[in-house]
This record gives sequence, structure tokens and C-alpha cells, in this order.
Amino acid sequence: MSTSDAQPLIQMQGVNKFFGSFQALKNINLEVRKGERIVVCGPSGSGKSTMIRCINRLEDHNDGHIIIDGKELTDQVKDINAVRREVGMVFQSFNLFPHMTIVKNLMLAQQLVRKIPKAEARETAMHYLKRVKIPEQAEKYPIALSGGQQQRVAIARALCMKPEIMLFDEPTSALDPEMINEVLEVMVDLAKEGMTMICVTHEMGFARSVADRIIFMDEGEIVEEAAPAQFFDNPKSERTKKFLSQILSH
Amino acid sequence: MDVLSGWWDDYFWGAVVVGQVFICSLGLMIIFGLFGAMAKLSNNRVAQKIAGAYTVIFRGTPEILVILLLYFGSAITLTAIAQIFSPEIKFVDVPPFWAGTIAISIIVGSYATETFRGAFLGVNPGSIEAARALGMSDLQTFIYVRIPEMWRLALPPFGNHMLSLIKDTALISIIGLNETMFVAKQAITVTGKPFTMYIVVGAIYLGFSTIITLAVMGIEKFGERTTVGAK
Ligand SMILES: Nc1ncnc2c1ncn2[C@@H]1O[C@H](COP(=O)(O)OP(=O)(O)OP(=O)(O)O)[C@@H](O)[C@H]1O
Ligand SMILES: [Mg+2]
Repeated sequence: MSTSDAQPLIQMQGVNKFFGSFQALKNINLEVRKGERIVVCGPSGSGKSTMIRCINRLEDHNDGHIIIDGKELTDQVKDINAVRREVGMVFQSFNLFPHMTIVKNLMLAQQLVRKIPKAEARETAMHYLKRVKIPEQAEKYPIALSGGQQQRVAIARALCMKPEIMLFDEPTSALDPEMINEVLEVMVDLAKEGMTMICVTHEMGFARSVADRIIFMDEGEIVEEAAPAQFFDNPKSERTKKFLSQILSH
Repeated sequence: MDVLSGWWDDYFWGAVVVGQVFICSLGLMIIFGLFGAMAKLSNNRVAQKIAGAYTVIFRGTPEILVILLLYFGSAITLTAIAQIFSPEIKFVDVPPFWAGTIAISIIVGSYATETFRGAFLGVNPGSIEAARALGMSDLQTFIYVRIPEMWRLALPPFGNHMLSLIKDTALISIIGLNETMFVAKQAITVTGKPFTMYIVVGAIYLGFSTIITLAVMGIEKFGERTTVGAK
């Protein structure tokens, strides 16, 4: 890592994002240091996905600055794949490549992007499949796996790129309840190892036990940013209180 | 069957020509189809318009006319160009093989354009995002994610385009390509037995289309490994 621990790994400064005339992000300011675990929550449409998608430039922002590990995200496409390589992303709908076996899913970007030789890529793939506890599924196609297994594969696929940062966009919300824990366990393990993580999730148990900070978004703004204890027991904003009462009553 | 004696090897070589035209036009047709589809899906207005005109024109005119126009049109053009350099040239002959092959590739490519376009749109956008998020370039994403997912969706209609191609090879006899139809016409003038001579052509084409159909079924099976459950 080029940056010292004093410099944040992720900096968002005054970020605005428009879809046409609709403003999806309003003056977002966020700093994440190496090893920090951030949970982002908020009502549907509040801009959570848009915010984390800006961090690896799946969306481009209109104003402000986004600086990842010292590199500012701009229109210069040259750097973007280098940045994306450092930022792993896990999606709600897994998004495995359906035409490839599990192990090939894990090898593809290693070989193409990190230029790792095939044998080594396979070794790394198997290493991470073991870590997410499904090495026996390596030669199957994604369709043959359960949702929880597919999501664990998706996490392993991102980890194979040896990212500095992991982004999770509601990784468990498409899963049947009995599969949620197997995915959360993998995420907790990652957190314990010191991975820098931003997780959009409404799993409040996970948030309470793992997060260093919880960010509450509403209507494109960061409304509240606090440590879990403060966030749950003593939220400042009325909007946060309303949101918490809604999701905790479920 | 006696009337056929002496014609068998003409038919055989005619069939070889059909096979050659088919192979060459298949490759070209895929290229025209891919470019057409990518142009239609691009953000470039001009490319969209050109691809739009392409599919309208070639799906909307008789195939035999396209073959004739391309053959004579290219002969006229090439002659004109050649005369600039050496005025004594009277006429440049365009090889009917290539004129015909290119003509049917363009025609069937216009249908393939629509097939590929639909299939590209059917590719899960999540796969493409995942590839981008992993740092893959647009070209890598295209080759390793979009094409492999696309062709599985395109295959059933694409099989029909292959059958169109093989049948369209029969039209190229009109510009003098010595494929099986051409052989049949010659045989008829000598023997006066049109039904027999054309039946042989029919059998040859049925043979070709059976092979194609079986091949498509095989490839579909191969593609289905990924959609059928665990082994
Ligand atoms: N590509 C797009 N084009 C137009 N509007 C969009 C686009 N993507 C998101 N939006 C809008 O931006 C707003 C924020 O969307 P976003 O997906 O970030 O919300 P979210 O907080 O992740 O919601 P959810 O909990 O439903 O996933 C929404 O109003 C959405 O309709
Ligand atoms: Mg979202």
C-alpha cells in the first residue's frame, strides 16, 4: 500500500450524482480508513447503491471528488481498471458468469486483469473457495448452487483479486432466511481479518457486532453517521429513529 | 438411374462448391451480423442509421436480385477502376464464387443482425457489471462474458439462418457458379430429364441441412451444460 494509515483509503468530498434531472446523491462526504468497517442503511431509493457504485465507478459522479487509495476517479479511463482491481464488489443478485464453472468464475479476472498464470490462478481460486467453505463445488456451474452458495462464490471471486476494499450491496437480501447466516459468517470472518469494508445491509445484528460506523442515508443524503451503540441506542435524527423503528419492528 | 451415369462426379464437385460457399459465407455472415448488432446497440447515431438501413434493405429485397446486382455492380465498378489505370481493358470478370458468397452473407447477415441484437440484449446486465467491477476491460468483457452468453441465446434462430444460407447457395448458379443447381441444368440440357436431375440436387441439399440441424442440436446440448443442474 502506497498510502500511510493516516490517509483515508476512500475519500468522498461533496459528491453529487444526477440521473437526468433527478439528484440521487446530495453532497456526500465520507472518509473510510484502512481496516474500517462501514455499514450503510436507509430506505429504498435513498442512494445507497448509487453511493457505493460510485466508489468503483460503475456510476460516474457529477460533482465533487472521489479518491481511492490516493487515486482520484476522473474521466481518465486508463486508471479505472487499476482502481477497480483494488475494490471488490459483491452484488445482491450474485452475478456469477453463468457459462463458466465456479472455479473458472474465480480464475477469469485473475488471468485477464492481474495476468496471473493459469495454474496459480486455479490455486488461488481453490484457496478462496475453501475459505468460503465450498471447494467441492468448484467444477459445477452456478445454476447448480443454492443462492447462499452462489453469494459465497461471488465473495470468493472478488477476494481472488486481492482487493484493498470490499463493497457489498445488500448481499443477503435476495437469499432465503436459512442461507443468510452462511453469507454473514463469511463477511464476519473478513472483517476479523481486517478487510476494509462498506456493506449496504439491513442485517442490524451484523451491523451492531461488526461495524465501526453506521451510515444512515435518506433521499440521497447522509443523514447520520455514528458508532453502532450510539446509532441504535441514541440516534440524533428523527428520520433515523423512524427508520429504525420500522426495520427493528420486523 | 442410368441417365445419371457420367454426372455423379459433376454433382460431387458441385456439392463441394456448395460446401465451400457455405463455410465462407457462414464466417462472413457472422461478421456482418455481429457488426450490424453492435452498430444497432451502439450510442453512435450514424452507426445505428447505417445498420438500420442495412437490415431494411436486405431483408426487404429478393435475394436473387441482390446476387445479380452485387455481381454486375461489382463487375462494372471494378471495370471502371481498372480502366483508369489501363484503358485498353474492356471488362473485369468478378469470380461468381466470391460475388455469390458475399451476396448471401450480406443477405443472411441482415437477419443475423436482428438475432444477435436480441441476444445481446438478453445477456444478464449483472454479468457485465460483475466483469467491469473485477477490472475487466470492455473488450475483455465482450469476448469472455457477452459473446459466450449471447451465442447461447442466439443459437436456435441462428440455426435457421444457417439453413437459409445453405439453401441460398442454390441461387448462385444464376451468375454461373458451378454448384449442384448449375450441374443439374447442364445435365438436363443433355439428358432431357429435369425431374431426376433436380431430385438429386434436392437430396444433396437435404443431406447438408440434416448435417447442419444435427450440428446445431449438438452445440445446443453443449451450451446447455450450464443451464441443466448439477452433474
Ligand atoms: N440508472 C438509473 N437511472 C435513473 N435513476 C436511477 C438509476 N439508478 C438509480 N436511480 C434512482 O436513484 C435513486 C437511488 O437509487 P439507489 O439504487 O441508489 O437506491 P438504494 O438506496 O440502493 O435503494 P434500494 O434499497 O432499493 O436498493 C432511486 O430513486 C433510483 O430510482
Ligand atoms: Mg440498492
